Amino acid sequence: MAHSGEQADNPPPKVRPRELRVVSDDAYADWRTVYEDNVDRIHRLMFAKVGNRADAEDLTAEVFLAALGPARLDRSIGEVRAYLLATARTVLARHWRTTMGREITTIDDDQIEAVRQDDPVSDAPQRAAAILDELPERDRRILSLRFLQAYSIKDAAVALGVTVANAKVLQHRALRRAAQLGGGRA
Amino acid sequence: MSVRRFVEDLLRGRRTRGFRPDDEEAAQMRAAIELRAGRAGSGAASEEFVADLRRRLATDLDEDDADAVVPIRSGRRRVLQFGSVAAAGLAVGAVAARAASTPADVAEGPLVPNDGTWTRVAASTDLPDGGVRGFDVDGVTGFVRRDGGQVAAVSGICTHQGCALRLDAPARELRCPCHRTSFAVNGTLVSHQLPTPPRALPTLSVREADGGIEVLAPPP
Repeated sequence: MAHSGEQADNPPPKVRPRELRVVSDDAYADWRTVYEDNVDRIHRLMFAKVGNRADAEDLTAEVFLAALGPARLDRSIGEVRAYLLATARTVLARHWRTTMGREITTIDDDQIEAVRQDDPVSDAPQRAAAILDELPERDRRILSLRFLQAYSIKDAAVALGVTVANAKVLQHRALRRAAQLGGGRA
Repeated sequence: MSVRRFVEDLLRGRRTRGFRPDDEEAAQMRAAIELRAGRAGSGAASEEFVADLRRRLATDLDEDDADAVVPIRSGRRRVLQFGSVAAAGLAVGAVAARAASTPADVAEGPLVPNDGTWTRVAASTDLPDGGVRGFDVDGVTGFVRRDGGQVAAVSGICTHQGCALRLDAPARELRCPCHRTSFAVNGTLVSHQLPTPPRALPTLSVREADGGIEVLAPPP
């Protein structure tokens, strides 16, 4: 790969996944290329951090509106990506501080490195499975139905053979136990 | 109850609403987010969103393109365009509202948090005379500089709509990437294209101690 030697701290990219449409290894052609190459990446990262599409979209938009300026295109792809990710970290931190008064989830250095190097970002299914694995069967079922399988509370209640009110209580208790297992993990 | 509302919003795919969670509630929110993010195939950006944001960016970034039809943008339109960003938090709205009723050239004054703690943002040796350096510590983003031996600092958030400023070191200016506003490194407004000039940047309390530069930041 024809990566320039100036980026000693930026290891050469691994095999590029297909969706990448970058003409040069060294720099992006224009802001549209920056956008097309990174929008899904940033969105996936934000989604993993906030857990819902509406907030993930708002925050992704904020990242690009703040970070994409016409003057930044002389930088290498690695630098532009690092800048986007640093912006994403700041945007997420500000989102949580503004809405919740504290940071609920954060973007850590490992994740920045993984995204920058095109590693598959999504260990999300594994992380969810790891939480569920540690829970008793009853907790696991309600959480799996509601969070992973998109059951409504009514449908989940039917599937579990309980009332809707019971299903709500089950879900709340199960989430509390999941939170206790998770500890301070961000 | 607020955690339940948060979880309900999450599961319905709605924008979540703010409250003040304690440690246990925050842990439940984290668990809920991790579980929801684990749903198969749910993190990808939708085509509609990608196209919509591309259009928003095009209006903002291609405005010098002679072939493009560039609508004349009033302040109102800007507000609408960036509405969802501004709506990210009530605090942002509060700042914007205050800005509208404050004379533009008057700075908000020094930013002094209640219960502030001195937080190291750089080593003294990293800031030579005439140098400027950005920092981002828990709760405060800003720029420290050294002029004639004295250290000083300003907030790094644009007073217009809260975008993070970038340092243009050769020009000794802080530029807002959202609306091309620029401030001098001492926080005074240099140029803008807005209907109402944004306020100068708040200054931060800063000191040098133990070979480091410290700003008075909110407690972690």
